[in-house]
Amino acid sequence: MTTSVTAAPSPPVAPVTAGGIMRHLNVVTGIVMGVLLATATWWVTSSTFPVLDEGDHKDDAVTILTLVAWVIGFLIGVGAFVGPARWLLGRDLTVEDEHYLAGKDAGVARYFRFTTDHKVVGMQYLVTTMVLFGFGGTLAMLIRTNLITPGSRFVDPATYNSLVGIHGITMIIATIIMVSGPFGNFILPIMIGARDMAFPRLNALSFWLLFAAVPVLISSLFLGGISTGWSAYAPLSDQANRGMDAFLVTIVTFAISTGVAGMNITTTAVRMRARGMTWSRTPIFVFGTVASVALGLVAFPMFEVAMIELGMDRGMGAGFYDPSIGGSGWLYANLFWLMGHPEVYVILLPAIVALMEITPVFTRKPLFSFTSAILGIMGIAGLSLFVWAHHMYVAGWAPVLGGPFMVTTELISIPTGLLFLVLLGTLWRGRVWMRLPVMAVYALLWNFTIGGITGIYLSDIPVDQAMHGSMFVTAHFHYTLMGAGLTGAMGALAYWFPKMTGRMLHEKAGAIGFWVAQVGFNVTFMGMFAVGLAGQPRRVADPGTYFRVGNLISSIGAYTIMLGMLTFLGAIIYSWRAGSVASASPWGARTLEWQTPTPVPLENFEVLPVVTQDFYGYGEDGHRAAAGAPAPGTPGGPGAPPPQGPDAPPQRVEVGAP
Amino acid sequence: MSTGRHEGQRLDTRTTWRRPPVLPILVIWAVLTVLLLLFAPVPARLMGRPASPTMQEIETTVTWFTGLSAPVAALVWAILLYSVFRWRHRGPQPPPEDGSGRRDNRRVFTIWVLGSAVLCLFLLVWGLVVIAPRTSEANPAQEPILVDVTGQQWAWSFTYPDEGNKSATELYLPVGQTVAFRVTSKDVIHSFWLVQLGIKVDANPGETTVATVRPTQIGTFQLRCAELCGLYHSYMQTTVHVVSVADYEAWAQSPAEAHS
Repeated sequence: MTTSVTAAPSPPVAPVTAGGIMRHLNVVTGIVMGVLLATATWWVTSSTFPVLDEGDHKDDAVTILTLVAWVIGFLIGVGAFVGPARWLLGRDLTVEDEHYLAGKDAGVARYFRFTTDHKVVGMQYLVTTMVLFGFGGTLAMLIRTNLITPGSRFVDPATYNSLVGIHGITMIIATIIMVSGPFGNFILPIMIGARDMAFPRLNALSFWLLFAAVPVLISSLFLGGISTGWSAYAPLSDQANRGMDAFLVTIVTFAISTGVAGMNITTTAVRMRARGMTWSRTPIFVFGTVASVALGLVAFPMFEVAMIELGMDRGMGAGFYDPSIGGSGWLYANLFWLMGHPEVYVILLPAIVALMEITPVFTRKPLFSFTSAILGIMGIAGLSLFVWAHHMYVAGWAPVLGGPFMVTTELISIPTGLLFLVLLGTLWRGRVWMRLPVMAVYALLWNFTIGGITGIYLSDIPVDQAMHGSMFVTAHFHYTLMGAGLTGAMGALAYWFPKMTGRMLHEKAGAIGFWVAQVGFNVTFMGMFAVGLAGQPRRVADPGTYFRVGNLISSIGAYTIMLGMLTFLGAIIYSWRAGSVASASPWGARTLEWQTPTPVPLENFEVLPVVTQDFYGYGEDGHRAAAGAPAPGTPGGPGAPPPQGPDAPPQRVEVGAP
Repeated sequence: MSTGRHEGQRLDTRTTWRRPPVLPILVIWAVLTVLLLLFAPVPARLMGRPASPTMQEIETTVTWFTGLSAPVAALVWAILLYSVFRWRHRGPQPPPEDGSGRRDNRRVFTIWVLGSAVLCLFLLVWGLVVIAPRTSEANPAQEPILVDVTGQQWAWSFTYPDEGNKSATELYLPVGQTVAFRVTSKDVIHSFWLVQLGIKVDANPGETTVATVRPTQIGTFQLRCAELCGLYHSYMQTTVHVVSVADYEAWAQSPAEAHS
């Protein structure tokens, strides 16, 4: 589709030799180019910039520009700008070039270069997400190890603060991309019956921007760390060391990446749905993912602006946040939370809708109250833009606004309740085929109940006076982002693993790892609620003897999480390499991604599907018998490839009416 | 809609409420609710003995919220528990028959939305009503004692304008009298948290924020910084002494302690 569209209007051009610079570019040339440009920028800026009398802005300016040069150099080197550059030169890409870019017949190498195929981008996101979780999780273990005993000097306070900051931002990035990255890219276009995303090159760009941001984030470790926590409140962030420069370049790069991805996913879902896929026949996963990325489109630019201003403060002494020259830390706090609260739902919504996609499959029932699901998603997405100042109840900024923000915050409980209704209603009287994906539904409902109720305490202004800035808050948002968000993402991975890798996830090892992690999770954060109620502030390197028992319990729980997660990871790695071969549709699900062969061919569908009804028609008259789940590897399952070759009859694939 | 299909094929003539799965789920729900209600006082206990009416109110609210959320959480968990034990299908294949094809239930939807709206309305009224007297507490009949609080990396200092600008590094307060803190910072944002008194307000550089409280318990309490403020954030804490009025007067008359 994409190839024919771009090829058709281009004027006849001299056939490009099977070469061109793009055929020599990959992640290695990207890194080389990034390092070269960064080195050159560092040399030029540090030898030409003047040292001003007040402040030490030069170091920060040099660091920021060097890191930005790395990002730009990397993108040039990886080939992100080849397409636009050739278009500007009047030599648009040929069909052959487009096929090359899409990674046609390129084997494993396509994962290591600028590949536009949405399935490659999805896998790249998946691996990156897991690497980020591994990194952030390791930092979490170091944090919990330091808190095992009071007065512990496992790490010094400076290192501790850095660990907290880098753990925070790593996990925020990882959780933002954990569903819409791998599954939004790999699964969503197939689910709506498209051949690729609306803008395949932007899709690759969004991933490689993220990839370029990761070394910048890690460089903060060597530049003094992120000592401010990931919230980076000003003016503390104005005075922090150069790790802060790495932080802000990471955020700006990541915000552009999510912006590009958000536009792309939204356009794809709006414009590229299969014939007959009206909005009421569109799977709920599409709604939730689009709501999430569209919310990000509104929210993340706030953070981007906040970080650009912080960069100007640090690099040029602009003083946006410096009260001594007329700035205000409240400006930063407002911009930060204008992003910060919608961001919570950017993380949560895709995880919950993934489980809404899973539950009907394993209960063999229609999704209960599709309308409630839509209302819940829209209500949350809309309200979440108007609640940010509940993070600032005690800031002293505009106390009269406390009441209105308490109202909007507590109203969110109504659409959130609707999401519970949908999941519980779908489970109701359903024979639950208890496989790993649907187990996540149970874990999520358990955890999210606790996360939601503790959020109600925090929404109440007087109670927040006692709890704001304490470990209670930390425990609360881990219950929502990890207990609900990450749990949903693990369920989604277990569910779509067969389609993405062609192999079944080892059920027993995966389930053991999953439940050990869930138990550890509840132990960890119950302990953290207790110390928070007892008065332990967040982000303290040494909480003191008073909280000894609660912290010890939390640390034991954290080690349990680690055991569970490593087991789950082991199951993934083992299954990916040597798991039993999956059929095209191992769960007997009805959505379109299961109607294509596994592995999914380059443009997903031999013949584009036409949709005649929605995908939740389980148990309806005439369709009582469940779609059989063929044994792994059985040919001729529901998703068997259509006959191929010139003699194959033209066919019209009707989906939804088996 | 056919009901009770999984519990047996025989025709069940009992009313909806008395048939499985509703009746057993109601029983589990009731048991869980009772257990959670027994748990309801625990959070307030963890928060310690309140040392001011403000903290007393907070702990009451926490206990009430826990109690009121008990039936809500119990409902979710009762359905989950029943589902795990009674609706589970074992085996490598999905169940041979699809479940009920029912996609919606208007009555359940209405009850659910109304129920959550009522609970939400209760929270709102509770929250807004509790705020109201607290803001008026700033203007009591009796003039509050003023204390100027300054945060700086990583220590607190206090000045008492009513006592000839006496300064201190530990906080002394008389019992039973309203105190107004005027809080500011010299460098970055700190947060002034009197843990057992239930008061917290940020110390912002270049701004002054106000918090009022009336300590009602004699004793020593903690003041902790609640906003990450740099290297020694975790050590930015000091002691709050709530003493009798006579002791407070005596302390106020004593010469200023050596200022570091």
